[in-house]
Amino acid sequence: MQIDPPDKLSHLVDHLFRHESGKMVSVLTKMLGFKNLDIAHDIVQDTLLKAMSVWGYGKIPDNPPAWLYTVAKNKAIDFLRSQKSRREVNESECEEHLRVSFSEDLFLDSEIQDSQLRMIFACCHPSIPADSQIALSLKTLCGLSVQEISRAFLTSEDTIAKRIYRAKEKIIQEKIDLEVPSGSILPVRLEIVLHVLYLMFNEGYNSSGPDELIRKDVCAEAMRLCPLLTLHPLTNHPSVNALLALMCFQASRFESRVNEKGNIITLRHQDRSTWNKSLIHQGNEYLDRGTENESITVYHIEAAIAGLHAASPSFDLTDWKSVYHLYEALYAMKPTPIVALNKAIASSYAISCQSALELLLQIKGLENHHLYHAALGEVHLSLGKKDDAKGHFERAINLTSSPMEQSLLTDKLMKCLG
Amino acid sequence: MEQFMLIFHGGSGPDTFPSAEAMQSHMGKWFAWVEKLKKSGQYVSGEPLLPGGKLVTGPNSVTDGPYTEGKEVVGGYFVIKAKDFDEAVAITKKDFPDFSFGGTIQIRQVMQTEM
Repeated sequence: MQIDPPDKLSHLVDHLFRHESGKMVSVLTKMLGFKNLDIAHDIVQDTLLKAMSVWGYGKIPDNPPAWLYTVAKNKAIDFLRSQKSRREVNESECEEHLRVSFSEDLFLDSEIQDSQLRMIFACCHPSIPADSQIALSLKTLCGLSVQEISRAFLTSEDTIAKRIYRAKEKIIQEKIDLEVPSGSILPVRLEIVLHVLYLMFNEGYNSSGPDELIRKDVCAEAMRLCPLLTLHPLTNHPSVNALLALMCFQASRFESRVNEKGNIITLRHQDRSTWNKSLIHQGNEYLDRGTENESITVYHIEAAIAGLHAASPSFDLTDWKSVYHLYEALYAMKPTPIVALNKAIASSYAISCQSALELLLQIKGLENHHLYHAALGEVHLSLGKKDDAKGHFERAINLTSSPMEQSLLTDKLMKCLG
Repeated sequence: MEQFMLIFHGGSGPDTFPSAEAMQSHMGKWFAWVEKLKKSGQYVSGEPLLPGGKLVTGPNSVTDGPYTEGKEVVGGYFVIKAKDFDEAVAITKKDFPDFSFGGTIQIRQVMQTEM
């Protein structure tokens, strides 16, 4: 009888089921065709159920992923056989599928990577709406469940299920192929993929839901998907490296943004010794790789800003002038009110609170955004206008539904009363 | 030391879990239980069982079953060592991972050949 070493369970990587599920769905979908995406999901679910039963009885195989791949492959072959007997596919097509599926190479690393790369372009197809692109990517490529995605995005399972359904519907209607786009289409399609990954990361990073763990997982998933692009020569574009650098810098502060009580710690008050040095180091490396040629994207600028914060020994010693100029450059490329808001905040440290106030008052479209009023409150407070500051903090408290943000803003409000 | 057979009814959890993550964590609970019993020297053997089966009631009578569906289905068994029934019951009470899914355990004592 095989005796398992007692610590074998700890050898099972965290998220093994989740990540292998993402890989298997991609490979199986490439093999079975996109119209069978749901079948691929079912096969993976069955495979994991089997692993759960067998491994749980103390029989964890030496190579868990290989075990999963073999089971999934056999289930896929069974599915194709049953299709064949029902004559739903023509015989030669089926034989071809079977031939491929029997091949030992089906779950080679290179094949997994190729399938996932194709899948990411399919999930981020321009005909699919952005929120559906994110949900489908997380479900299909990352192995997150509808329930987990809804928890991360503070929305109902129903909403997420609908988004995924709409995405799948589009893929069938538009006959979207599992392929890596080439030629002149590639840069455009790559841009969309990057935007989806950017939004996915930000959703996890910025939303202030109570379920910190799952939001952190979403960030980690966005960071896990990026290397699919950097590892392939066709898609290893400087902008991908810049985006990955941005994610590394942001993620380095993940643990430092909230205290044990769950309260937000602002950048100024964070213990910088707790920032993740290895992520900052990786961020710098990716940013170096991303600046090998001339092209500068919004990701380069955002990464450079995040990199300046990461490199600074303290809040006061931050190179605020450079931060401000980078926000100016960013605003020129991406003139959104949120960028303008950040630019104004940077100017309060780089130039003066008076200049920040003027910039803030020029911004249109954030009248109902809590961060806008929080910034106005902050600037008024610094200028000694406590009454004005109080009004804006109160407004900000009313505009956010996050208890964490409300508590932070209430602290600020107290300063206006003193 | 007596031997007891723990017969697990209701399979291992539901057919659908909320996530792959939940499945891995459920598997971890089972694995940890087996490890614990092995460590204390109480684990003898155990196997998960596939659903479905045959019921043979005579040379010419073979049907599907019994208990191919629902709560009655046997998902697997352990054979463990315990001092007495009380200890065997205590072992399951604390660590059986499927209670939350409505799983139940039948405990039967193995009859020893030497008395």
